[in-house]
Amino acid sequence: MEILRFENITKRYGDNTVLDNVTLSIGAGEVFSLLGPSGCGKTTLLRICGGFERPDSGRVILDGVDITDLPPNRREVRTVFQNYALFPHMSVWENVAFGLKTAGMDAKRIAEAVPRYLDLVQLAGFEDRKPGQLSGGQRQRVAIARALINRPKVLLLDEPLAALDLKLRQRMLIELDALHDDVGITFLFVTHDQQEAMSISDHIAVLRGGHVEQIGTPPELYEAPKTSFVAAFIGDTNFFPGTVRRVEGDYCDLEIEDFPTLRLYNDKKIREGGSVHISIRPEKFMISLDKPGNIKPNTNLLQGKVEDVVYLGAHTRYWVRVNDWRVAVVKQHYGYALDERRITWGDDVWLRFEADNAYMLDRYAEADENLLLLPDTEEEAPTPPDASEAATASTAEGATASTVSGTTP
Amino acid sequence: MWFKKASNFFVGLPTFVWLLIFYALPVLIVFLLTFKPVDSAGGIGAGWTLSTLCELGNPNYPLIIWRTFWLGIVATAVCIAVAIPISYCLSRMSSQLRNVFLMLIIVPFWTNFLIRIYAWRVFLHSDGVFKHLLVLIGLADESTVLLYNQWAVLTVMIYTYIPFAVLPIYAVAEKFDFSLLDAAKDLGASSFYGFRKVFFPGIAKGVWTAVMVVLIPAFGAYLIPDLVGGPTSELVGDKIAQRVFNDRNLPHASALSALLMMAVFLPLIGTVWIRKLKSRKANAEVADA
Amino acid sequence: MRNYTHRSRFPFVMTMLTLVFLYTPLIVVAVASFNASKYGGAWTGFSLKWYERLFQDNAIWDALVNTLVIALIATFFATLLGTLAALALHRSKHKLKGIYSALVYTPLVVPDILQGIGLLLLFEIVLSTFGEWMRRTFGIEMGLGMTTIVIAHITFCLSYVTMVVLGRLQEFDRSVIEAAQDLGASGLYTFFRVTLPIISPGIIAGALFSFTLSIDDFVITFFVKGAGDTTLPIYIQSAMRRGTPAVINALSVIFLLMTFVLVFVTQRLLTDKKGLKK
Repeated sequence: MEILRFENITKRYGDNTVLDNVTLSIGAGEVFSLLGPSGCGKTTLLRICGGFERPDSGRVILDGVDITDLPPNRREVRTVFQNYALFPHMSVWENVAFGLKTAGMDAKRIAEAVPRYLDLVQLAGFEDRKPGQLSGGQRQRVAIARALINRPKVLLLDEPLAALDLKLRQRMLIELDALHDDVGITFLFVTHDQQEAMSISDHIAVLRGGHVEQIGTPPELYEAPKTSFVAAFIGDTNFFPGTVRRVEGDYCDLEIEDFPTLRLYNDKKIREGGSVHISIRPEKFMISLDKPGNIKPNTNLLQGKVEDVVYLGAHTRYWVRVNDWRVAVVKQHYGYALDERRITWGDDVWLRFEADNAYMLDRYAEADENLLLLPDTEEEAPTPPDASEAATASTAEGATASTVSGTTP
Repeated sequence: MWFKKASNFFVGLPTFVWLLIFYALPVLIVFLLTFKPVDSAGGIGAGWTLSTLCELGNPNYPLIIWRTFWLGIVATAVCIAVAIPISYCLSRMSSQLRNVFLMLIIVPFWTNFLIRIYAWRVFLHSDGVFKHLLVLIGLADESTVLLYNQWAVLTVMIYTYIPFAVLPIYAVAEKFDFSLLDAAKDLGASSFYGFRKVFFPGIAKGVWTAVMVVLIPAFGAYLIPDLVGGPTSELVGDKIAQRVFNDRNLPHASALSALLMMAVFLPLIGTVWIRKLKSRKANAEVADA
Repeated sequence: MRNYTHRSRFPFVMTMLTLVFLYTPLIVVAVASFNASKYGGAWTGFSLKWYERLFQDNAIWDALVNTLVIALIATFFATLLGTLAALALHRSKHKLKGIYSALVYTPLVVPDILQGIGLLLLFEIVLSTFGEWMRRTFGIEMGLGMTTIVIAHITFCLSYVTMVVLGRLQEFDRSVIEAAQDLGASGLYTFFRVTLPIISPGIIAGALFSFTLSIDDFVITFFVKGAGDTTLPIYIQSAMRRGTPAVINALSVIFLLMTFVLVFVTQRLLTDKKGLKK
């Protein structure tokens, strides 16, 4: 069942179009994430939902009611602000009770409700503290309790974890997930961090430059990205352009310049002679020093030389030169890594991958490669978003251009 | 917020109207009166004239204007020169000690202006303790008059304006990242070199504010020369008051005031303009990159 | 060899010398106020006679009452108008904002003597135009005096209030206001329950500032006061022009003590401000 719908939302700041005809539907009770780099418009969309910005055109429908023109205080949504926005002059108790007071609830019922929600976020005993006397994580919990206490139809979370350090972020993520299961309220979660979005969401909308690139469940987005942007923004990947040569049933051969011809599952039903870009995730390759035996017809076997090795504990990342291409490969350590015969610089290796494990893209853009390996720690520009957001986005792309992995011919 | 715009208008309106009537209008009148003739009864004559401006050229005025400027500039220079090391010292103190020292500097700033001047009248009085001391060590004799000259005016000006200079510089210095000075030393700079090349640019904005905050009242000073100065140390401010209260020549007083205003505003507008130009240039450079 | 962490003593010495410079005249006055002799050139014995004379001097007390009445009224209106201006400036993105802020902030840098003469001219023009008419039609006698002094004081004080309150407004996070609205608070509720409590230390500091400025002002008052009413600074000045009356010593000491208390209170407010900031 749908609880919230954005219909053809467009928002401009001067000449800068921040949201371009965005339509989204969010189901009741789910965690829905808006994911994208700085300047993609995700925060603006959230602020439109909260009532802090007015769209130039389009409508916001909450539970069947058009709320586009309602002021923030008359919407049944609540926001957890990025910097929490706790009232500095009020105690924790007063902060949490604020929403009930504005709703005109009597003191007795407020006195019942507040402790329940403080318990929920594990802050019992902190009632009399001022926000200034709390740690970052505790402030975060107050902000959540304060927003939840009115039982809004949708809880809007604006980068709620961005201000926390890594360890705390991971813990709060788990707590948020548990909290969501407890209260059963729809969460609309804004983040630039694909790991956060992947781990908490039922559905994710990937935004870019003011439009929706793809909506899907986390596995859909990872395994079946429709565009090079989604493929590059969620996880890492290798892109290859090619021409379809021989079509045999569901499979085809893809001819790639200066690269061995690959056998692939032709999910886009491309005819012979058609050109297409494919994405192959690094972990889909199996790397070995010895030539693997027992090769099935739909298995590709490539030969290359290791150029770079990055040991990352749980797995190792290799860059392997195959003809004129650098291919990113990830090897999981199943056994005790020190016992293994280690693959290292300059080794001649074999790469194997199944024809079903590559994915053909609907749309490919060179610029999207620049988003590969976008640093997770990058903060979004603070609200309210304005013209400068676009500027930050372009610098972010520029800065990561050098870290492109995979397909540099 | 779109639904706030209307209410905002009414919130801002009363003050706007008030300042328009009681600030902008009086200033405008002063400028206009400069070009009006004076009538015999001490009122304003009809028509327009440039004669008032021409009369500013008479030998009496340039001397006074010149004196006003140099006293103002010297007082400002001394105040700034003193305020910078004080601000540095304060911002490096522990916060408890700093609060005490800050309070000690603020108290004279908050003390009644007249009482501060009065204190100097007592201090420099011919029968006062300071004079006795000077006579005792042979730096003065019984007939020396410490008051009623330019030096007394300058001293009291510096005295009154030092806290004005300290506060804006301290406000900036307090936020200065002192590890930068350590970094400068680490890179081989001497204390003074680091101070000059790292600390000073860091507080430059506060220094500019301080210059304005001291220079402006110094140019307009009226009470100090009136009370501790003599006929040889009259400033523009005294002349304005004399023209108003003694000879009832309002256009003359207006012309002098307008001159004072220009002396204050031209450098101010210049500074703001240069800052704007600089930031625009910086922005353009960022945009290019 | 120079220690790496060596710090020059010069700034500290400078600070101490300045403090000596700042306090010596004040201390001389304080001591003189207890001296039986007039100028403190020679100590002729401890005496409270200057304080006695001060308390018997009715003219001083009248001037003090005037000063306080003016300061209280002016502070009230200056705080009100100044705070309104700060709120308007803080929210506005209007084209007129530049003009508005120039109107609010330039009085801070215009020499007070210019404001004084400007207001005097304005009042004189108004009086010569409407004075006679007002007297005839309504029987109201208009003239320079307490009213004009209060108007002048409100004008030069309100800019300081705006400056302090706007600083406070800019310091706290705008999203706090959005949070209040998000939690269902109306505009007025948000203003009285969130905005006002947060900026109240700024408003109080601004009010204290105006109060002090009003009590302190001589120049502008001197221009617009007319013949009758006297404030304390005017009284002291005219007394000083006649000589150096030693009762003023005693008055100075009382003022100094009041200032210490006032500064102490403001410092406490500033400390509170730090607590809120976090």
